Amino acid sequence: MTTQMRLRGGSRDVDYASSSQVRIQLSTRDNDISLPKNPGPLLVNTNLRRYALSTLVNHLLKTEKPIPFEFLINGTFLRTTLDEYLTSRGISSEATVPLEYVRAAIPPVYKTSFMHDNWVCSVDVLSVTSPAAKWVGNARIGFNQERVISGDYDGLLRVWDMTGDVLAVSRTVREGGPVSALKSVKFISPTQIASCGMDGVIRLWEYTEDAENLTASLSPQIELCGQRRVIESIAVHQPSSRILSASGDHTVGVWSTNASEAPNPPEELRPSHRGNKRQKVQPSTTPQRGPLALLESHTAQVADTIFAPNDHTVAYSVSWDHSLKTWDLPTSTCVDTRSTTAVLFATVSMPNLSLVAVGGTAGHITLIDPRDSTTTVSAMTLRGHKNFTFSLATDPDSAYRLVSGSADGTCRVWDIRSSTTDKNGKVGASVECLQRESGKREAKVFGVCWDKDVGILSASEDKFVQINGGAKVEARIPRGH
Amino acid sequence: NIDPESLLPKLPSPEELRPFPTMCATKFLGHEGRVRSLAVAPSGHWLASGGDDGTVRVGELTTGHQVWSVQLEKGEAVNVVRWRPGTEAKVLAAATGEDVYLISPQIADLNKEVATKSREIIDAGWGYAANGAKSNTKKEPATQWVRPGSRLEGDGVLVKFSLRKTVKIISWHRRGEYFATVSPQGQTNAVAIHTLSKHLTQLPFRKLKGLAQSAQFHPSKPIFFVATQRMIRSYDLSKQELLKIIQPGARWISSFDVHPGGDNLIVGSYDKRLLWHDLELSVRPYKTLRYHKKAIRAVKFHQGGLPLFADASDDGSLQIFHGKVVEDMMENASIVPLKVLRGHQVKKELGVLDLDWHPREPWCVSAGADGTCRLWT
Ligand SMILES: [Mg+2]
Repeated sequence: MTTQMRLRGGSRDVDYASSSQVRIQLSTRDNDISLPKNPGPLLVNTNLRRYALSTLVNHLLKTEKPIPFEFLINGTFLRTTLDEYLTSRGISSEATVPLEYVRAAIPPVYKTSFMHDNWVCSVDVLSVTSPAAKWVGNARIGFNQERVISGDYDGLLRVWDMTGDVLAVSRTVREGGPVSALKSVKFISPTQIASCGMDGVIRLWEYTEDAENLTASLSPQIELCGQRRVIESIAVHQPSSRILSASGDHTVGVWSTNASEAPNPPEELRPSHRGNKRQKVQPSTTPQRGPLALLESHTAQVADTIFAPNDHTVAYSVSWDHSLKTWDLPTSTCVDTRSTTAVLFATVSMPNLSLVAVGGTAGHITLIDPRDSTTTVSAMTLRGHKNFTFSLATDPDSAYRLVSGSADGTCRVWDIRSSTTDKNGKVGASVECLQRESGKREAKVFGVCWDKDVGILSASEDKFVQINGGAKVEARIPRGH
Repeated sequence: NIDPESLLPKLPSPEELRPFPTMCATKFLGHEGRVRSLAVAPSGHWLASGGDDGTVRVGELTTGHQVWSVQLEKGEAVNVVRWRPGTEAKVLAAATGEDVYLISPQIADLNKEVATKSREIIDAGWGYAANGAKSNTKKEPATQWVRPGSRLEGDGVLVKFSLRKTVKIISWHRRGEYFATVSPQGQTNAVAIHTLSKHLTQLPFRKLKGLAQSAQFHPSKPIFFVATQRMIRSYDLSKQELLKIIQPGARWISSFDVHPGGDNLIVGSYDKRLLWHDLELSVRPYKTLRYHKKAIRAVKFHQGGLPLFADASDDGSLQIFHGKVVEDMMENASIVPLKVLRGHQVKKELGVLDLDWHPREPWCVSAGADGTCRLWT
């Protein structure tokens, strides 16, 4: 049965006499915006564009406030009229066109940048919706009270407010702080931060703010040591007090944030704080603990590790040995290995799709289903970066979107519903490409983070943390610094 | 009429011979003036370089971030840097002018364990040579290995010794116990072999004919290769005798490298030639390749099991080749040009001065007269 609907193409004047019609079949993968009952094929004018189709879907959904939608036809976003799309693809208007509608994403427009003295490796956010706030049930992060942390090659951990002021900074080398570059920084809770880096030590910091006196402090709590080389990345899970670390010594470290639970570290790996290089080495006065386990199976340096999003007893890790490994943490065993063709630097899990994305020197991002028992390794590849992928993060607003930070100086946003199929299988192209506002071309992006409230944060060789956010933060973050 | 070209066996296309480096992934900045030499650490994580500014620098290979540097001698170029093989320690040998240094770079990830091991390896020979210097039989005094002074020692430069002429080549034995140096102007002292654990310098090639250019240990046998301007001689180290005289036919050899299998070698020359020798086949080249417009400065095989080799030229480019050594004695090596890597600028007639391969990956690095190092992936 065909329903006839007469729609005007937005505010344009439509010449109905010359326009033909086509059948469309609407669908979506998001349950909360799916149509109550399948309307079947709809006959619409071929001169319709996205806006008119979005109006149509809102009409069918009987929405009170219109939701802007975008439309995918066979994995490609509709950017023209239906007619122009069908003509360019050589599709007969006799056929029924499948139209998948998705919530239109707000373009991540540039907001602001935070300047550092050296290359920035890593960035994380504390907001109401960030994991570290949700874990402790702390919703007291008010309007404009989000916090950003960054780690740089000078080894400095900084806490920023949203106006770009530094609220606290870890001790410098001159003050007896560690020499080592910080490769990864993470909020564990609103009052606890973890950092790691070149010296192979994970440091836990207590972070406190005194609103009355407008002061903030960052004080060392515990040093976790036991891996023998640089720690490129850490993952934290506050409810289970667990930390995972990816080390250049080929191991994945499993640690506890709870000092009473952890063993003493091996004596030869206890960190000592080298002051200035001509100063005497001073022993650290911070309590030190060793690993709960060092997971061995990778045959080259491990570059990134994460907890499985729906099960904190499972971990994933990627390595220079080209593989993605799945770990069962209670038994410390590697339960699955997937090999790719290149060195891997980054991984992120897309929980609702049971896919793990991995990126590295290959230039493309590979999506792998680690539960898939078939021999097919790659479920999809995302192509567009012209150099290494150093970092990956998922969109907190969409199960289908992720962002990547690359050595080509860009961050790319991907929607895996947007794909085509070629001889190598499913291939996706990016839907957004974020440049460096510093103007430094090809400044490598080492770290990315995507927060529901703040937006996309990227840490780069250009010495800036750059924030590209959705529309709702626009009024709150002043541009420039 | 048969086109003679059609009778030749068809070479596989480069596409079928992936992976090999195709693009510049990372640029390393910092050196002022020419970068003369570079080497990827055995771990594959660090890149060491030395240049006209007299500094040795270590950078993170994939990001290009400099993590350590030292000024050896002001106004004297660092001509060569080479890592000691093995991953249990981080030991770097470097030469500037007539001086050779052994360094434990103070990289932040150098935890106490590695730092201690590196220091132990470099310092093992103290006291040894003072007693056992008899091997230098001539009147001249034995080469003294000494501390380089507190400034350098504070930076991890732990040992220094001086030879008689400018050192251009350092070449380690695979086990990291011996290394050879070449001082082309050194006449009878041109080639020296050093024993690390004894801080001992020996000069075994007193009667070398011609100016020495380069030297290398055989990858598995007690054989040593020495290149002069026109010939490469191989010597049996245990019997102390000449084995072979390899004749590439080049007018002036700049560099050579021995295939990890030990039976093939490549030679680069200032007269723009790249020559492949199958040592079992002949003392003459099996193949002569002329692709560059200017002198070839460096040639190197991939050492980690990939059938790749490359050369670096003053025309500013590197050329990547597939070079597969076939097990079958009746079959010859297959050599296919794969890719020309361009990016370095030519400065005062000088282009790419050195190259190295990653120990496992199909990546190479290059040192340019333009002051940059580059990682190609
Ligand atoms: Mg043969």
